[in-house]
Amino acid sequence: MKGGISAKAGGAGGAKRGGLEALRQNVLAFPILAWFGLFVGIPMVYVVVVSFLTRDDLGNIVWQFTLDNYRRIADPVYLRIFANSFLLAFLTGVVTLLVGYPVAYTTARLEPKRRNLAIGLIILPFWISSLLRTYGWVILLGNWGIINNVLTALGLIDQPLQLMYKFGTTLVGTAYMLIPFMIIAIYNSVDKLDKSLLEASYDLGAGRWQTFFKIVLPLTIPGIAGGFTLVFIPALGLYFISDLLGGGQTVFLGNLIHTLVNRGRNRPLAAAFSVGMIVMVILVVAICSRVTRSKREGFLL
Amino acid sequence: MKSCKRKEVPVSKPLLSLVNLNKYFGDFHVLKDITLDIDRGEFLTLLGPSGCGKTTLLRCIAGLEAIDSGDILLNGESIKDLAPNKRNVNTVFQNYALFPHFTVYDNICYGPRVKRTLSEGELKQKVREVLELVQMAGYENRMPHQLSGGQRQRIAIARALINQPDILLLDEPLGALDLKLRKHMQTELLQLQKVTGTTFVYVTHDQDEALNMSDRIVVINQGEVQQLGTPREIYNNPRNLFVTEFIGDRNILQVEVLEPGEGTVKVMLGGQVVEARSAGSGLTAGDKAVLAVHKDKMRVACEPGPNSLVAKALSIHYAGSQIRLELAVGQDMETGWVKLTVILYQQSDCECEPGDSVWVSWDADGAVLLPLEPGWQGSVLV
Amino acid sequence: MKARVNRWQIIYLSVFFVVLYLPVLSVILYSFNANASTAKWTGWTLDWYRQLFNDRVIGQAFVISIEVAVLTAIVSAVLGTAAAVISLSLTERMKKAVQWVMLLPLLVPEVALGVSLLMFFNALRLPFGHLTLVLSHSLFCVPYVYVMVRLRLAEIDREIIESARDLGATKWQAIRTIVLPLVMPSIITSALLAIAMSLDDVVISTYMSGPRATTLPVHIFSMMRVGVTPKVNALCTLILLGTFLIIGLNQFVNIKSKPKGVV
Repeated sequence: MKGGISAKAGGAGGAKRGGLEALRQNVLAFPILAWFGLFVGIPMVYVVVVSFLTRDDLGNIVWQFTLDNYRRIADPVYLRIFANSFLLAFLTGVVTLLVGYPVAYTTARLEPKRRNLAIGLIILPFWISSLLRTYGWVILLGNWGIINNVLTALGLIDQPLQLMYKFGTTLVGTAYMLIPFMIIAIYNSVDKLDKSLLEASYDLGAGRWQTFFKIVLPLTIPGIAGGFTLVFIPALGLYFISDLLGGGQTVFLGNLIHTLVNRGRNRPLAAAFSVGMIVMVILVVAICSRVTRSKREGFLL
Repeated sequence: MKSCKRKEVPVSKPLLSLVNLNKYFGDFHVLKDITLDIDRGEFLTLLGPSGCGKTTLLRCIAGLEAIDSGDILLNGESIKDLAPNKRNVNTVFQNYALFPHFTVYDNICYGPRVKRTLSEGELKQKVREVLELVQMAGYENRMPHQLSGGQRQRIAIARALINQPDILLLDEPLGALDLKLRKHMQTELLQLQKVTGTTFVYVTHDQDEALNMSDRIVVINQGEVQQLGTPREIYNNPRNLFVTEFIGDRNILQVEVLEPGEGTVKVMLGGQVVEARSAGSGLTAGDKAVLAVHKDKMRVACEPGPNSLVAKALSIHYAGSQIRLELAVGQDMETGWVKLTVILYQQSDCECEPGDSVWVSWDADGAVLLPLEPGWQGSVLV
Repeated sequence: MKARVNRWQIIYLSVFFVVLYLPVLSVILYSFNANASTAKWTGWTLDWYRQLFNDRVIGQAFVISIEVAVLTAIVSAVLGTAAAVISLSLTERMKKAVQWVMLLPLLVPEVALGVSLLMFFNALRLPFGHLTLVLSHSLFCVPYVYVMVRLRLAEIDREIIESARDLGATKWQAIRTIVLPLVMPSIITSALLAIAMSLDDVVISTYMSGPRATTLPVHIFSMMRVGVTPKVNALCTLILLGTFLIIGLNQFVNIKSKPKGVV
């Protein structure tokens, strides 16, 4: 590791110094790692273990190894649920990206006073109750909700529009809930852009759209990937949105797991599905990570 | 040559000794076997280009970096394993590092308070004294963000000095100031050092600053000590090519030794014979060597004189107080020639036009001859 | 070419904000609807608010939520700040490891996290209630504290901390007198955020609640599943007021610390 200069007036040899020094430096990190290892790592491992077990009629876990749970996942009905959840999460990512990118881009280019106001308005929903935010859509979209009332009053429709209890409704609710994450991620990326790159592009003759697609977009990919991850993961887990807005028409993983645990009393199966969900997350994170590998900045922090 | 600035220091043990100090950043050997003694009460400057390791060396003395081998002795005792807060050494940082949430008063009191060396009553008096010392009396209740750069600087110094350290380390403290303020602060710092008698170890890459202020200068390059001496010694007697090129403004030319000897040596330059002072490094006839002459220690005349070369005037530039004259020296002025720059201060010293043939000369005493080092790239006579 | 924003972009932005706040405003509006079933608008009333104040179950859930939120905020603030400050003196590899571990809870969908904690705590035979709620809420709040404090720490000139050591402070003294005061605004903001997130949590709280300890959001959620009633709207509006209180507090704290730039 280090050169072989011998120590004269004290001091241990280079390599030994390095190892011990590092240990002393890092000693305080271990409690932290322990705490989180304990509360996140172990439960996860436990869930994986349980997914290979079975249960008795009362719903208690029986310590008997079985692959049954995973075999049942392969059932087309269940696979459809996986697909639904993936689709929902993925589309949420897409929708938040399409709607949120212009917001982030515009905000990044406002002058400081307005920019701070805009950022404040974007972050504000973080603090507001998520139930409230979802519930608002129930009021807006219901058959006797605000939108239908207004449209009827204006004479534009005769019958109320059936807006609730569809896949799209859940999508709207989930995207609405998570869009601030996407916007902030993209904003950070755009903010870090060297403005002189844009000027160089214009100087060389490119128009606004060309500059955007050739310069801005490629350079903000880390932000997009980060935002996508930040949106995809929660989208898989916010089952209360599909409960309230989707009315159980489409069954998602979150709802399924919840039902299995609470009513079905089938924890091993629920565990198996949880594992499946986590695997999905790992895959997506890995892909996003690979996408940003060639760029210099890390994509999460 | 003795410097007039040299203080009468009684022969005693040095205050700080660096012994075979080595430091690595990973695989990079940043400080190579540094051995150095620093005397009590002196103003020592570490001078060198960016990246040479001078700041790292300073930080090792402060305890902010650990050394890999060697030792640091303060008053004869090893401090290399002591944490920075246990060493009686204080640092003035490049960006001042004033605590933004404390008033000037609390900033200055910080050291004594955390070490519990003074009572609150004593502190009041001491703070007033040290503020007067740096000419910032009355600023106790200001916040750092209300002060200008120069003012913050002084508070940083006051904050360090109140602890009465054995050594005060200054890391390019004047780097962020504009030229005029810098010159002013140089004088102030020097005065401060004399008044308090504290040993200053000063880091800079500005040679004028170093030559101006120091009792002794340590020239450092690539982690190694190149030369240690008074400003006069460093300026007139550079010991190797790096110091020759780094300090002062010289013409540096490759020559061939003709007649070696004590004192002056005859060398061949551009087909002509001139004399130069040898740095005493055992050169023999036929050796390739390097001749270095201060650009402003040369004379130009219209006739030959003792120890002169014939040259052709190329161009004349007027730059403020200087007149820069570019000359070409060579056997055959068409094909192989060496460019010389002569700096003159009066029009009367230079009565020629571009294209004229002139004679350029210098005192053999004012030119230094050094052995050629492998890998050196300077002016070469083809 | 100057980075100027054109009219279309401003319009898009404005429309976006309107849509963003429309649901929230709808809830507030309908909390005053005299008609019980939101079908039609029949008039203004404060009836629903009156009903709320008399509802004991809701009151209890509210108290529990507050208790859990405050405890969570304290625990998260301490752990998150400790992790951030400790990160300063770690080797590069350890820093990355701690970072990953800190962010781990955010990488798991809440459902999976809730279910696994449920099974885990069950296996440990822990009593379900305040303890499990605070523990689980801290898990997803600590990362936010960690990130915000880390960010603020990065803004502090390294030389300032070195200077404190140079002047004679021990590591702990330097942290206590210099680092903590300077990161306090971030600690407070993230602690307030922790309160907001804890008060708001539905998914994990569903699994972590005990027989006697149900949090408010879980209760509200079950109310919402039954149907839309203005009573729920009124409750939500009150919660909104509480949220603004917290946000106001946050702004107050941040503005107080503004004048001191990082010198």
